[in-house]
Amino acid sequence: MLKRSTQPKRLWRSAPLKPAYDAVVIGGGLHGLAAAYFLASRHGMQDVAVIEKRYIGYGGAGRNTAIVRANQRTSENVPLYKEALDMWPRLTRELDFNLMFYNCGNLNLAHSEAALKAMRLQTATAQFHGVDSRLLTPAECKALIPALDITDRPKYPIFGGMFHPPGGIVRHDAVVWGLAKGASARGVHIHQDTAVTGIEVQRGKVAAVQTSRGRIATPRVLNAAGAYAAALADHLLDIRLPISVLTIQAMVTQPLKPLLDHVISSGGYHIYANQTLKGEIATGAHMDRWPNYTTGTSAYYIKHQAEALTDLLPCLQGVKFMRTWAGLADMTPDMAPIMSGNDPVQGYYQDCGWGYFGFKSCAAAGKYMAQYMTTGTCPEILAPFDPGRFAAHRLMGETAALVNYSADN
Amino acid sequence: MERLKHLPTLRIAARQPITLRFNGRTLAGCAGDTVATLLYGSGERIFGRSLKYHRPRGLYSLDGECSNAMMTIDGMPNLNAELTPAREGMRVEPQNVMGSLKWDLLGGLDHLAFAMPAGFFYKTLHKPSWLWPRAVKGIRRAAGLGVLHPEARFDQRCDAIYPNVDVCVVGGGPAGLSAALAAAEEGLRVALLEARPRLGGFCDYRVRADAQGKPLHQWAAALADQVRARDNIRVFTDAPVVGAYPDGRVAAFQRGGPEDAFDLRYIEITAAGAVVATGCIERPLLFAHNDRPGVMQMGCAHRLLHTYGIRPAADAVFSVAHDLGLEAAIDLHDQGVTVHCVADARTDGQDPLLIAALEQRGIPLRRGWVAHTAHGRSRLRAVTLGTPAGTFRQRIACELLVASAGLTPLTGLVTMAGGQVKYDPRTGFFLPVRLPPNMQACGRLRGLHDPAALAADGTLAGLRAAEGLGCRPQRKIAAAEAALAAAPGAPRGSKWLAAPGKGAKTFICFDEDGTLKHLHQAMAQGFDVPELIKRFTAIGTGPGQGGIPGHNLPLLVAAGQASPASDPMPTTVRPPLVAAPIAAYAGGRHDMAKRTPMHDAQVAAGGRMERVGEWFRARRFGTDPGAAAEIMAVRTNVGLLDASTLGKFRVFGPDALKALQRVYVGDMARTRPFRTTYAAMCNEDGCVIDDGVVIRTGDNDFYITTSTGRAAQTVEWFRYHTRYDGWDYHIVNLTDAHGVINIAGPNARKVLEAMTADDVANTAFPFAACRDLTLAGGIPARAMRLGFVGELSYELHVPASCMETAWRMAEAAGAPFGIAPFGLEAQNTLRMEKGHVILGSESEQRTVLHDLGLGFLWCRTKPEAKTVGALALRDTADQPGRLKLVGFKMETPGDGPPRDGSPVVNGRIRGYVCTARHSHALGEPVGMALVEEELARGGTRLGIYEDGCGGRLRYGTVAPMPFYDPEGTRMRI
Repeated sequence: MLKRSTQPKRLWRSAPLKPAYDAVVIGGGLHGLAAAYFLASRHGMQDVAVIEKRYIGYGGAGRNTAIVRANQRTSENVPLYKEALDMWPRLTRELDFNLMFYNCGNLNLAHSEAALKAMRLQTATAQFHGVDSRLLTPAECKALIPALDITDRPKYPIFGGMFHPPGGIVRHDAVVWGLAKGASARGVHIHQDTAVTGIEVQRGKVAAVQTSRGRIATPRVLNAAGAYAAALADHLLDIRLPISVLTIQAMVTQPLKPLLDHVISSGGYHIYANQTLKGEIATGAHMDRWPNYTTGTSAYYIKHQAEALTDLLPCLQGVKFMRTWAGLADMTPDMAPIMSGNDPVQGYYQDCGWGYFGFKSCAAAGKYMAQYMTTGTCPEILAPFDPGRFAAHRLMGETAALVNYSADN
Repeated sequence: MERLKHLPTLRIAARQPITLRFNGRTLAGCAGDTVATLLYGSGERIFGRSLKYHRPRGLYSLDGECSNAMMTIDGMPNLNAELTPAREGMRVEPQNVMGSLKWDLLGGLDHLAFAMPAGFFYKTLHKPSWLWPRAVKGIRRAAGLGVLHPEARFDQRCDAIYPNVDVCVVGGGPAGLSAALAAAEEGLRVALLEARPRLGGFCDYRVRADAQGKPLHQWAAALADQVRARDNIRVFTDAPVVGAYPDGRVAAFQRGGPEDAFDLRYIEITAAGAVVATGCIERPLLFAHNDRPGVMQMGCAHRLLHTYGIRPAADAVFSVAHDLGLEAAIDLHDQGVTVHCVADARTDGQDPLLIAALEQRGIPLRRGWVAHTAHGRSRLRAVTLGTPAGTFRQRIACELLVASAGLTPLTGLVTMAGGQVKYDPRTGFFLPVRLPPNMQACGRLRGLHDPAALAADGTLAGLRAAEGLGCRPQRKIAAAEAALAAAPGAPRGSKWLAAPGKGAKTFICFDEDGTLKHLHQAMAQGFDVPELIKRFTAIGTGPGQGGIPGHNLPLLVAAGQASPASDPMPTTVRPPLVAAPIAAYAGGRHDMAKRTPMHDAQVAAGGRMERVGEWFRARRFGTDPGAAAEIMAVRTNVGLLDASTLGKFRVFGPDALKALQRVYVGDMARTRPFRTTYAAMCNEDGCVIDDGVVIRTGDNDFYITTSTGRAAQTVEWFRYHTRYDGWDYHIVNLTDAHGVINIAGPNARKVLEAMTADDVANTAFPFAACRDLTLAGGIPARAMRLGFVGELSYELHVPASCMETAWRMAEAAGAPFGIAPFGLEAQNTLRMEKGHVILGSESEQRTVLHDLGLGFLWCRTKPEAKTVGALALRDTADQPGRLKLVGFKMETPGDGPPRDGSPVVNGRIRGYVCTARHSHALGEPVGMALVEEELARGGTRLGIYEDGCGGRLRYGTVAPMPFYDPEGTRMRI
């Protein structure tokens, strides 16, 4: 281990843009890179291109707070997230790149009897699917996070919690670079600074993708452009997706020695917090209340976060925030993603609408989307995520609460 | 150490001694010292140990740009000693050190640095796979800086203010002061924010004379006096700005002094115009071991001397690239510091007066020379200077190296608010090229340096801000423009980047121990933009953020690019500009929950209050979680519920009915005067979003109620869904104006009879009717007979101001029966026994009206009303495979109700339990669940999976609802 480092090699190759590929993936984020990686590694697809307008990991991939977990609410979602969660150690091995999965477990707090009730449902669903999740008393929560205030002093006193030991955090940038490295090693071409400007359709089938650097003939294309996916689908193929794009902000404190040994989150306060391996407390949660495509931060948000954080964890009052940033969340009406293919255009696939769950799920989604794109048939696990559910008023129930992103939604 | 006295620029009170404890020793300084200057003045040179390599670090800047001086002070970790005023009796401890500052047991890590290249953690410790989970524990312990105790309390008084001004000027240097004066003279209200304790900026510590021969500190003080004298300028000192936003807001936090009513306050200024005059910090000089204690920036040495009266060393060498460095060398020499040599990276362009002054003092000036290496470990012993390529070198023994590559402007506020900066080859600065609307930038951040130019530029910016707000100071603007044109322009900046070599110990970023070598390694691996290099190497992500590497990183990246055509691009500056305590943002702790008029009375009666939305409501009275006594009182006697949180609205006007038809799914034309109609609103997906009653109280006049949670959105919902119709109607929110008392139980009428002279007999006031009654004492009450809990029940809507009187009256009237209040828990069980739903409990986002068995509330044949949700209701009316609401009973009632929230399974999850409670009226558990339609038929056996059941299901059977009094006779008596 202790050897003098020689000049390191590039993690991913830069390659010339070829006139034709077997598959083109739009978006060098986590979902796009994962799909490309699995197309090359599992399905032997030789010629795969990832087209990225800026640089890989520019969007949500590099802006999320790195939390992973599998205790979703519905039976349709839990198996997908469970598989994604189980993949981190395997992917680390396979990519030979340390994704830094820190399996610290996630503690979710309830601040009312209604929230406790919702947690009982979520816990039972998780347990039914073999996902470790359990309900805790306030005292048990305090034992896990000694800094928690479990008295009646906070605005929303703690009624109990739900602990999910298999979850934790993963170094998000490492996943981007690891997947890029793995994909590149298996022949995938990653084209940064390249924008998609059109998708050519002939007789109902995808024929080519037009980019700022030229035309690429291809029989299949995956739209994994994250926050920009819905706009792309609309502009390039006239496909309207029920997606609202909202800014979501996050921030970190200056680094501290270990204080939070688990990820904590609270629906009542709209906040989550975890301590990164560097010791910073990363915190974020709710979205700005109106759709926009900017990654600007606001005075209101950081103040809200400060009020919530100091109420739950009073010892943090004297700790300092040192950086705020913002990313975009592509929200669907039921907070569950859209994954579909060959509808209405043969060879066109889409993997989007992940909102703020895109990081946790990327490995499994990439794996199954690659399978979908190779076989042309929808894997059973992805079937519930067809966007047809919105037209039929059959929302998925991933969230119980009414969602209204904007008056025009 | 004895402080220098009689300097005109001293900002300490040498006669007021202060002592503090550092590392177990008592050190002395004086009032006006920061912790850092007190320590330095007491002879301390090592202030901390670096994050990764545990290298000794000393005082480098005085403005908190890096973590070198971060310490634990009075138990609070990560306080920057440079920014913390020294106070008597403080306990100061160094951080991230094992052993002592001088002999850190982890200091040896420095020798292993070669084994930790850029991206080290991404490529190691994951093989074999058991290693990482173990290694991560050690990494966590090694990372972080200060230790925070989980029960640590922060005893500072926090506050928040939100001033509104016309112009907000950020920066109290000469440019900012001039801008504030210019805007104020136009009659505008001005706020001036300065991060340091004093106004004057970089002139506050300079004795050099301006063109008129007046020392700069006097000139700046005179400007500051003029500003202080104006009553339309509000000055905030000790108030670093943390953010500027495109909406015109400027956020700052201020440290309070002993005479202030706060220790820390958040300031959020809303300003119509802003002037950014934040000036410059220094661009660090890059050379081997540039982080050694004893290497410091020119401003740091200069201020130590002039502001704090501390001679920073006995002898010094300078390696600078700016006239301010020459000036500092002269001043240090004049106060008795031996200056061996001044190396200036610039070959020409120096101020001739400064060169003459150096010559006069016999200080050699080496043009074009720079520092190559600093020698010594815990203290600087010598420095090697040389020509850029290293052809000629000279080693000079010294105690202090003043090192600086020049200045770098603080443009963060400009870009944060939406402006743009671009690299300017002449000054070497990233200069603002596009400013956000209503923002002006002036002074040193535009590259200017000469005092006259700064004053003219500031005046111009203040006038332009005033012009943007409608003032017409055209003549003054012309004069300021002429003054600016006559003054010296922006001087050329030094292009010097880094001394040659691999740069293994050339630190670009102190906080993260990021070196030039790390940067080159990252670029070799394909990371080619500063943002990515930042993520990969962590350079610029430490406590000081971009303070140290912010300028050098993009220059180095651009220099290392294969295609040199591209301009250097700095990484995005994000708030907070200065690390700000979370408590400062939180401000005071204001809890804005609403309380009903009966809040205190219910607490006195043993009510357990819970927050429900924005309200506090009583969940139960007493400790019984099931609230059995409250339930039995309502079923057999009479109970009292405070339902004041219900949404209450008057909708009236010629088009009121049309508006109701739009948002309610039922046919509101069929409502009858003073009859309650149960009605529902759906959203576009057919999901029930609200239920309540609608009462026609007159021609085109309606009174409606909504659920507690929807009250806030109701007005908006009406307005939004009728926005294009131009209808003439009004909606008045009476939620807070009316209190609601629900008197429920078989004896309810007897209670009401004792409260009013009006006829409330069943014939005069039957079920579902509404009556306007007069209670004793003349209290008006709108009374409704409703059946939510399934008993004889009156809901009295009274003016909130009369609520307490009416409540006491009901208590007195009910006293002979033993009337008692009941809470939400009792109501929940009572209504469930009746099969009544609570939205959010029996419904969720995906639940449409039909799923709840409430399809009858929808009028399919309603005339063209464009009812919200009608299309979805049509689509889903007979849609198969939906979840349907059913009642169920348990096979083994003795085991109690299942926990609500458990999924309903038959091999797979087929729904979920909404509510389940023990029914005292029936003597067995009952519940409601949403299940797949094929399980909804009566008698179907449901396996119920609870959390923690370990796979052992409990069984129930679908049963008809309502469970209690299915004929509904009890509420009609």
